[in-house]
Amino acid sequence: MQISVPLKAFHKIWLLGIRVFALVAASYLGLSALAVAAEKESYNDRYCTTCHGTDGRGNEGIEAPRLAGMEEWYLRRQLENFRAGIRGYHPMDTAGIAMRPMAKLTDESITDIVDWVGGWDYEPTEITIEGNAQTGESLYGVCATCHGIDAKGNAAIGAPSLAGQNDWYLATQLINFIAGHRGRHEDDVYGQQMAAMVDTLTDESDVRDVVAYINSLEPR
Amino acid sequence: MVKSVSRREFLNLLGATGGTAAALRAGTALNLLPASASAAALDLLNLGSNRRKIAILGGGISGLTVAYELNKQGYDCTVLEASHRCGGRVLTLRHGDLIDEIGNRQYCEFDDEPHMYFNAGAARIPSTHRNLLSYCKKLNVELEVFINENKTSFVQDDNMLGGKPIRNIDYTTNMRGFMAELMAKAMSNEALDAPFTESEGETLLGMIRSFGDLSEDYLYTGSFRAGYAKGGFLKHGVQKDMIAFRDLLKSRLGRQVMGANEGDTGPILMQPVGGMDRIIAGFLHHVGDQVKYRAMVTSVQVTDNGVNVAYDQDGVRHNLSADYCFNCIPTHLMVGIEHNFPSDYVKAMKYVRRGEAYKAAFQAKRRFWEDMDAYGGISWSNTKSRQLWYPTHGIHKAKGILLGAYDYGGGMYHTVMSQDERIESHIADHEKIHPNFRELVEKPVTIGWHRMNHMLGCSARWSRNFGQGWSHEEESLYHTLQAPVNGRHFFIGDQISMHSAWQESAVMSAQWALNHMDAQVRVELA
Ligand SMILES: Cc1cc2nc3c(=O)[nH]c(=O)nc-3n(C[C@H](O)[C@H](O)[C@H](O)COP(=O)(O)OP(=O)(O)OC[C@H]3O[C@@H](n4cnc5c(N)ncnc54)[C@H](O)[C@@H]3O)c2cc1C
Ligand code: HEC
Ligand code: HEC
Repeated sequence: MQISVPLKAFHKIWLLGIRVFALVAASYLGLSALAVAAEKESYNDRYCTTCHGTDGRGNEGIEAPRLAGMEEWYLRRQLENFRAGIRGYHPMDTAGIAMRPMAKLTDESITDIVDWVGGWDYEPTEITIEGNAQTGESLYGVCATCHGIDAKGNAAIGAPSLAGQNDWYLATQLINFIAGHRGRHEDDVYGQQMAAMVDTLTDESDVRDVVAYINSLEPR
Repeated sequence: MVKSVSRREFLNLLGATGGTAAALRAGTALNLLPASASAAALDLLNLGSNRRKIAILGGGISGLTVAYELNKQGYDCTVLEASHRCGGRVLTLRHGDLIDEIGNRQYCEFDDEPHMYFNAGAARIPSTHRNLLSYCKKLNVELEVFINENKTSFVQDDNMLGGKPIRNIDYTTNMRGFMAELMAKAMSNEALDAPFTESEGETLLGMIRSFGDLSEDYLYTGSFRAGYAKGGFLKHGVQKDMIAFRDLLKSRLGRQVMGANEGDTGPILMQPVGGMDRIIAGFLHHVGDQVKYRAMVTSVQVTDNGVNVAYDQDGVRHNLSADYCFNCIPTHLMVGIEHNFPSDYVKAMKYVRRGEAYKAAFQAKRRFWEDMDAYGGISWSNTKSRQLWYPTHGIHKAKGILLGAYDYGGGMYHTVMSQDERIESHIADHEKIHPNFRELVEKPVTIGWHRMNHMLGCSARWSRNFGQGWSHEEESLYHTLQAPVNGRHFFIGDQISMHSAWQESAVMSAQWALNHMDAQVRVELA
């Protein structure tokens, strides 16, 4: 038995779009190009879910975090940062290095992808990190200024939502900020703001505790 | 001076930890025909008028093995393959092919000729891989011998002889000569008692002498085995000069060079004529109509009496219900796909690390290696590109495809580079062996398996303490993942074997799962 459920109509229009585009481009370049276009296997930039999991819900196996439910402005900024090489450049930042070439995208493609990702349903992520949420709550005090009391982010400041993100990912990012693997590039304006805020986290147990507290907040 | 090896040390070496006596005993106890050498005979029940639906996730060689076997017995199979092609890590590149490395997509530009192909994944089939070979036979896949070790290929190490490449035959002949001389010295030390009878000792000494081509007084003074400095056919050959032992010891490449014909690559190696993917084509000839391409699995839900699978194809999410499910999607990708697997299963899935294999290839404008007496085989260097393979196929044709890099364990070095950096790195490395390499090659392709779409690794790494074997915990995680969920969902592929990175393991894991399911179906139908 097979049932078919249409995805977002946009996706279909987009697929139709690339086919029409390929045809127009091919006829523009003449017949030989058409022959080549017909022979060669096509590809597109919507490969994110190979790493980021079904509907962008995150994949610990690849260390690629949840994208579903991410703020459009934050998603776009991170893609642009990876593309510009101001994130994912530090040799110790292996996960960032894995992501960086995936953001070699045109502006149009980024816009398409931000729309596409916007269509995925948000689902709360699985809890994998244990820590002392009470200690975490006091550590979170300073964070609330920017990320909000409920950790749902603050667009005006440019701080993303943390609640509901994969906890293992939050932990690696905090460790990256502390170690200087993220947020030190001179053009990384927002990353620098964040990097200046991790002094209160003195060791990995602080990181675990604050993440445990974020885990305890209502995801969305 | 090299510290002389005492006889006792030598004998202990022979017997590993137990000494020679243990070594002698172990010799007689050796089972020379291990069970694994025979192909498992699958005896699956034919369904007759009964119906069973099978979902096969991933068109890797293990998935196709399942489809082929069950199709014969009347099962209704559907293979869901995320990529535009089947075969997974069995990938042969030819003219016009897409290399779907995300972040670095390429089209292969090789000339369009039958011998102009590159096996970018699996490339060699040892004669002991009986199960795989039996499918080659059944599927009419023509095989030819693959030349792995070639004594006229080169060994190059910046630390040895000023970086000058030498022929494999010079390296191995001299190395063996010196090693044999040391062994002979150890054997003639009368002060030590030996567990050998006089005749055994004589046999051994004779073997040592011929191993290294030693003189009558057990000294190594060079050997004609390395070929001639000049002459040799119409005139007497002139022996080449010896290379100093100390110079050879500047390089650690001996581990690769002297071991090229040992272990997995010890048996005769073969390759399908026309490319490794002829095996995949052979399977698809029988079950091709059951494969859905660009069908990416998004959810796997095991129920009491079956498995519900969801997948995306052409922008639409579809559902497929089956009685049984065989899954060769790499575990590190499966972790990110919706599922309702039990927690111990998930723990095992997350435990497996993904490998970092990397390969590259060039089209050679002419077969320059054949002008240098090299037909097939591997040149070894201590560069990051490590290996240069001269193709066995297409001998004496105009052009050929060279393997220009193969790093099995540390492929990230090249993987993180841009395409141009990768190519430049390989060219610079091989210029050390063939000074005009740059002018001799064109149309490169590179494959970072760690970034290949729908694969992201090669191959599953279960053991974390490399070289020391598997821990008890690892063994138990492995058995957890091998066991079916609810009797309905089977993980397959070389990831469910203790010898990953071989097609034989993938095929055998599929057969293991098939036998398991077959037993269940027999009970259901009884
Ligand atoms: C560089 C290299 C060298 C090798 N050398 C040799 C050799 O010389 N000899 C040898 O015998 N073996 C060799 N191997 C190993 C051999 O290629 C593998 O063991 C074998 O091909 C693994 O088969 P598999 O069935 O486990 O699946 P894989 O080949 O891993 O296939 C998995 C399949 O799942 C698909 N998939 C992934 N995600 C999804 C999804 N969400 N939905 C649907 N489908 C999905 C993939 O596209 C793929 O087709 C080599 C491998 C590499 C990479
Ligand atoms: C090869 C695997 C891979 C692919 C393909 C991939 N990513 Fe990533 N991505 C990662 C990894 C790993 C990280 C985590 C980086 C880190 O830890 O800093 C990441 C991080 C990100 C982040 C940062 C998230 C945050 O909260 O800051 C964004 C945004 C992102 N990816 C978007 C995308 C999009 C959009 C695509 C498709 C165009 C994509 N990725 C494709 C592996 C991948
Ligand atoms: C001054 C404002 C500010 C404060 C205070 C602050 N952050 Fe941030 N944080 C940011 C900004 C801005 C970013 C986005 C950085 C970027 O764009 O790369 C960020 C990013 C992050 C990220 C990465 C999110 C992702 O998806 O990659 C984490 C995790 C994080 N902050 C946690 C914290 C924690 C925990 C604290 C308290 C210890 C804290 N932040 C305090 C501004 C702040």
